[in-house]
Amino acid sequence: MVRRPNDSVPVSAYRRSQLSALQPIDSSPFKKPYSLIFIWFTLMLVWLISLLPWRLWEPAPDLLLLVIAFWCLHEPQRVSMLVAFAFGLLMDVHDSALLGGQALAYTLAAYGIIVLRRRLLRFHSVVQALHILPIVVVAEGLARLAYAWLSGEWAGWDWLWSALFTVALWPLADLLLQLPQRRLDDPDPGP
Amino acid sequence: MQETGTIRLFKRGPTAEFRLFVFVALALALLIVDARWTVLDPVRQAISVSIYPFQRLMFAPRDAVERFNDWTDAAALARTEKEALQRQRIELAQLSTHAAQLAAENEQLRRLLNVAEAVTQQAVAVEVLYEPPNAFSHHLVFNKGTSSGIKPGMPVIDEGGVVGQIVRVTPFTSEAALLTDDRVSIPVQVLRNGLRLIAFGGNVSGKVEVRYLTANVDLEPGDTLITSGIGGLFPAGLSVATVDSVIRDAASGFALATATPLSHPERYRHFLVLRVDVSAQEAKQESMSHGSQTE
Repeated sequence: MVRRPNDSVPVSAYRRSQLSALQPIDSSPFKKPYSLIFIWFTLMLVWLISLLPWRLWEPAPDLLLLVIAFWCLHEPQRVSMLVAFAFGLLMDVHDSALLGGQALAYTLAAYGIIVLRRRLLRFHSVVQALHILPIVVVAEGLARLAYAWLSGEWAGWDWLWSALFTVALWPLADLLLQLPQRRLDDPDPGP
Repeated sequence: MQETGTIRLFKRGPTAEFRLFVFVALALALLIVDARWTVLDPVRQAISVSIYPFQRLMFAPRDAVERFNDWTDAAALARTEKEALQRQRIELAQLSTHAAQLAAENEQLRRLLNVAEAVTQQAVAVEVLYEPPNAFSHHLVFNKGTSSGIKPGMPVIDEGGVVGQIVRVTPFTSEAALLTDDRVSIPVQVLRNGLRLIAFGGNVSGKVEVRYLTANVDLEPGDTLITSGIGGLFPAGLSVATVDSVIRDAASGFALATATPLSHPERYRHFLVLRVDVSAQEAKQESMSHGSQTE
């Protein structure tokens, strides 16, 4: 905090009169980089949770995709399509599905996020979620199309619910994953 | 400052589009190769082995809860099981004397006919590790693999009868396709009249189908299907399913029977894998689709 030069002057008058009031109160950079440990901790945690059997319910949200998408948006240098692809492959092996199915979906979703990144960062999380819905639907849809082409059957439309639930959880994920970035004295963290 | 050429201020990798192209091409290649051939099985096995500790870690709380429940229920369970077993023993006593008599007679006949003696099956008891969330197939993953002598092709049974067949193994886990999976087929016989058929995993979930029957086939609702032992993989005489309905289509001249499996893969955690000799089948099998050869 920059110390005010004279406490006796009312704030409004002070702001009007002095040009120095235009300086930011806090000159430290607004965005600190996320800690690498935190990024990988969340990714591993969500991956481990995804190994549990709750995903047997077909419209279950894809939490792993959600977290990968979040990091692709905020830390594209560290979490990119390669990470998305690798986690997709791990899930394919766990689900004993054809290798590459989930990997394809995650890679496409990561690409969508990276392409729309500049635009997405201007909005708050609810509007971001509205942008991310088509990305997730297209990515999952294309992966399932490839899958259907190879296995000769279409698995139904329950995954649309899954995409919807995934995107509905975006604001919550945004809130939780940005918690370590918030400063305690900051009432409004801004966009 | 300015030197010949441009100074690269920021480290940049390939463009996003290029990366996308590479990864999508790789994913599609993996999909196609994995769907058609088995060359990727070592890759899958390696990944599977490396994620196995994490799977066990995540299932540990569930296993602990189950163990605790088993422990607390042990007395009640033992009592009910004892009653059931006693009832079963009485029912089986008569059957077993009859069977012993038949076995002796059968042995004698086999000797007379010079038929090779049937070997008794060795079995491995396995426990369900998890059920893969996969919309396309009905599989179960068990907690034992090649280290316990399990190989692809071996049949899996429970006390009701045939549950399915092992399709994939890693050193510590094995994966079985259930009877109801549409990639499993199994040579069966009608218990009532000895009619030989092939049962397939059905289009209706949880059902088994017998297709390509002639319209006048002697098959009725209520008939029990047992394994005929002809494919060589499934030992003869394991119960498979009871027939629910036979639909006779006069127009095509064929009939289709639907049957309910007698095993209950969804109910219990423990199963038996029969360690049959699958070496002869391994040579014949090209892909993961297992089951009967020609009848």
